[in-house]
Amino acid sequence: MIRSIAKKELVSTLRDRRFVVLSVLMLALLLAATLVGRASYRTLQRERQVAQQTVNDQFHHQPNRHPHRVAHYGSFAFRPKAGLSFLDAGLDSFTGTAVFLEAHQQNSVNFSQAQQASSLIRFGELTVAFVLQLLVPLLIIFLCFNAFAEEREAGTLKLLLTQGVSLRRIAWGKITGYGQAVALVVVPALALAAWLLLSNESFANSPDAWARLGLFGLSYVVYFFLWIVGAVVVSARQQHARTALVLLLGCWMLGGIILPKATANLGANLFPAITKAELDAKVHEDAQKGINGHDPQDARSAALKANLLKKYKVDSEEKLPVSVGGLVMAESEAYTAKVYQQHFATLNHTYERQNALTVWAGLLNPYQAIRPLSMGLAGSDFAHYVHFQQAAEDYRYQLVQRLNALQTSMGYGDKERKLDAATWRAIPTFAYEAPVLGWALGYLVGPALALLLWAVGLSWLGLRAIDKTSIV
Amino acid sequence: MTYILEAKELRKQYPNKLALRGLNLQIEPGEVFCLLGQNGAGKSTTINLFLGFVQPTAGAAYINGVEVASNPLKIKQYLAYIPENVMLYAHLTGVENLALFSSLAGFRYSEKELLEYLANAGLPAEAVRRRVGTYSKGMRQKVGIAIAVAKHAKVLLLDEPTSGLDPKASNEFSELLRRLSQQGTAVLMATHDLFRAKEVGTRVGIMREGELVDVRPTATLNANELEQLYLTYMQ
Amino acid sequence: MRTFWILVRYEWRHFRAAKGLVLLTGLVLLVGLYGIYYGTTEIERQRQHLATLPTLAHHNVEELKKKFPGPADAGDIGYYHTTFAVHHPTEWASLALGQRDVNPYYVKLRLLGLQGQLYASENVNPTKVLSGNFDLAFVLVYLFPLLIIALSFNLLSSEKEQGILVLLLAQPVRPGVVVAAKLTLRLLLVLGLALLLSAVAVAWARVPLDGRVGVWVALVVLYCLFWFGVVAIVTALQRNSAFNAVALVGAWLVLVVLLPGLLNVYVDATRPVPQGLELTIKQREEIHGGWDKPKSETMNRFFALYPQWRDTATIRERFVWRWYYAFQHLGDESVRPLVAAYTDGLRQRFALVERLAWVSPAVNAQVSLAALAGTDLPTHLAFQQSATRYHDALRAFYYPYLFRKVAFTHDDYAKEPTHTFTSTSELGTATSGLWKLLVSVGVVWATGLLLLQVRPLNPR
Repeated sequence: MIRSIAKKELVSTLRDRRFVVLSVLMLALLLAATLVGRASYRTLQRERQVAQQTVNDQFHHQPNRHPHRVAHYGSFAFRPKAGLSFLDAGLDSFTGTAVFLEAHQQNSVNFSQAQQASSLIRFGELTVAFVLQLLVPLLIIFLCFNAFAEEREAGTLKLLLTQGVSLRRIAWGKITGYGQAVALVVVPALALAAWLLLSNESFANSPDAWARLGLFGLSYVVYFFLWIVGAVVVSARQQHARTALVLLLGCWMLGGIILPKATANLGANLFPAITKAELDAKVHEDAQKGINGHDPQDARSAALKANLLKKYKVDSEEKLPVSVGGLVMAESEAYTAKVYQQHFATLNHTYERQNALTVWAGLLNPYQAIRPLSMGLAGSDFAHYVHFQQAAEDYRYQLVQRLNALQTSMGYGDKERKLDAATWRAIPTFAYEAPVLGWALGYLVGPALALLLWAVGLSWLGLRAIDKTSIV
Repeated sequence: MTYILEAKELRKQYPNKLALRGLNLQIEPGEVFCLLGQNGAGKSTTINLFLGFVQPTAGAAYINGVEVASNPLKIKQYLAYIPENVMLYAHLTGVENLALFSSLAGFRYSEKELLEYLANAGLPAEAVRRRVGTYSKGMRQKVGIAIAVAKHAKVLLLDEPTSGLDPKASNEFSELLRRLSQQGTAVLMATHDLFRAKEVGTRVGIMREGELVDVRPTATLNANELEQLYLTYMQ
Repeated sequence: MRTFWILVRYEWRHFRAAKGLVLLTGLVLLVGLYGIYYGTTEIERQRQHLATLPTLAHHNVEELKKKFPGPADAGDIGYYHTTFAVHHPTEWASLALGQRDVNPYYVKLRLLGLQGQLYASENVNPTKVLSGNFDLAFVLVYLFPLLIIALSFNLLSSEKEQGILVLLLAQPVRPGVVVAAKLTLRLLLVLGLALLLSAVAVAWARVPLDGRVGVWVALVVLYCLFWFGVVAIVTALQRNSAFNAVALVGAWLVLVVLLPGLLNVYVDATRPVPQGLELTIKQREEIHGGWDKPKSETMNRFFALYPQWRDTATIRERFVWRWYYAFQHLGDESVRPLVAAYTDGLRQRFALVERLAWVSPAVNAQVSLAALAGTDLPTHLAFQQSATRYHDALRAFYYPYLFRKVAFTHDDYAKEPTHTFTSTSELGTATSGLWKLLVSVGVVWATGLLLLQVRPLNPR
């Protein structure tokens, strides 16, 4: 029974020229967005790979230098694009690309694409995720707004019911039929995405990428399902197709445009974050309480030196087997890094509190549930960005401490000497290991639950409401 | 004896109107009962109550002895319904519409059988594979008849079935009702057409302001007498 | 003319009776006020942040005074002393935040190579900037078209569907007058709301009342008129309400969502700017190469640029600050072409956006409003240029100390140049946007009126 109605809806939809035109357009847009996303992904990825390769080579080919010179020469970390970010660029355009890694200080991640764009970018980017999250629901609305209203106005609803079908079954039949129609638009695009993924060797063999793509597709299935159910329910509850359409469009605008902006803005107003200048000043101030690597007059350096003399049972610095300078540097770096980590964590905590409002809004607004879910799976969300920043900082710390250890082992008078060029070739360069799906899932439980809650709630409450809908 | 259609003290109160004030009605198999009356007299409400599309405020409607309001799905297997203006799915062809509705009623007909039903209902052969969007009102009516006949229902509920049909189509429709009633189908038909009521009806009931004010067997009346009777009640 | 005003008055009655529409209009008013509140608080916060910078700089000086109690080597001061190049917003920025939340509004500077410092980003929550700003410009550019659509999608169709239009046109009234009256009332309502919100914003943000207010008002009025022109076209097609709603929302979607997105893709693809990463890498390489190059080579290259210091003492020491700052500056010099290419690339991007803005009046309005507020890319580039000049001034201030070996005393801190930059309205962009908008308005209205002429009103 449900199948007969589903088939009828599908056939009617496919024979409706308006829908065919609209869905062909949508499909074209999806395919174009996939290809454009892929092309821009490759350009950016190549740009960053080349840059990373360049700085790695530069690092390995340094001449004889003092290790602390090398620590100031430093290196760069370029954020590689996540494998699926060509489907959902998420925050990628608004997060920085390159961070300079050097001794003593933590630099900002610079050169975001948004900084290289005019305010046009604030209209939103045409990615696959954008089409799936905002435009496909619009297609669903146009498809479903007169699901019941039209049948009621035309009188076919009565005919259907006299054949002994319940309203609920008609609703499920319609939902199935419309679902198939939507699938016809979306599946080719996802298939293309899968094929593109397959054509990239580094991802083709990565079960992680496939699992992410699978969950990505699944999330959208749930998202579209709840839109279809919602639209069918609204269509059944409204007396006229016109009011159903206006109501659904209103929901779309509220959920897709107004609420996300309003909650994000409100979050930023409620939990103000400190500026980079203030952060730097605070880190600097707190770091003063520790040892200062570049200040030989520092009292704490003197104490450290005295301890060393005692430990090695010698009476002057010249006789020490280690470089006091190197040890002081190491100590100071450890202290500053700890201080920075604390402040960095506080800042991120502020951001998380700002974003929490948006996540909670997912309970009110399915768009705000699918958006974090989608970018989390694509690897372009805030958690992934922080993960990169953390990895860059970890690498920076390891690198600097390794260089400090090298300096320490040079013994007294290290400032007058240099280490051989071969030393730098032995030091590993920055290689970013993107987090695995299991790690990301921890951050996505909230949005995923919100989405499921919507789907279950709508199918349960909504279809109960359909039972009570008026027929004449 | 059990009646195939029965209304007991059926009342329907709308928010701003009392549409039906305690209707009592019994119809036997093979009867063609015509409800006459002005717009708003309660004819459509009666039909809708038998269909289970509206819930009675008091009293009950029974089809084949089954109470309608509490068994909305069960009673649907006994009845077929043809509205005033049969609207079908415009994007499907005539035969596709029939196939859809029959399958919903639980019948799986072969292509040949479907075409036969449509032909018997009088749909021209050239039209069956065209989309219903291109049909005239009469052609849609014929598909509606085919849907009703293909259901082999014991009861046929009709709401102004002949309004807007040309005389020829109207006559064919009367023929069909006669054939069905001879096979034992009970028909309840709301109509404005006194002539048609006299011609095909076995009994006529006149409704006024939600009440059945008179019921007469048509055999005892001629067309003029029926019109006189009707006009008397409408004053 | 009398019948016209009678009809307008009746339309006003209909509007007041339609609770949903009154509610919607009230909602847009509230949303607009929130936009103004948000914009002003955001700019106020930026102002507060900017106001803390002198304190931070002052702390830094205090710290240095403690660290170097006597006359110090200016090289040490230049190395440890931080100062700020600051970018103050115009009052207009509260109305159209543009890119002010994405681009840093101050740069922390030391005497070191500029290119390593100029592109430092500010702490931003990327999730928030992705969602965008809820400022007045957003309300006007994004939401007002929706209000216009909601008010007028069934301009004629609802009366046609209710069968009232037949009765109306059975009176001695020209059909054109009926349409004109209906449009006029809605136009008055929407423009009244837009101008009321603009007036509130101007007062709230204490915008100076000069010619720019006129440009803002003209932009807003023309943008609303454009959307009414689209309504006129759809109305002239004389289809049913559902078709009208779909057509108008479709037009909104194409002009406000799709075309800007496509434009973005196009601009990114045709004007790539890879020079940012390149110049950072190259500058570091140059600066650090300075340590390993013979000092005389470095100094000769520096003296070629600054012959006035050529007569200073030859460097024999292992380390001396003037040599250090010389190779810092040579690092900047070495990437000069890349910097030029990078900023040119960004300028070309903006020029392309400006050139293509006629494609969508929404883009045109957004770009023009942001230009008027001085919150878009060109203003940021102007700030970066100003910061560059400030860095030049800082070097010019410190070089005499370094090269003439003058000791840096506590009094000298006060002599150090400071920086301030306030955005200015990009009036050229705004007025050219105004003309483009005027053309768009002309095109839609001409089309709409023509259609109404060609297809006489059919009341059924």
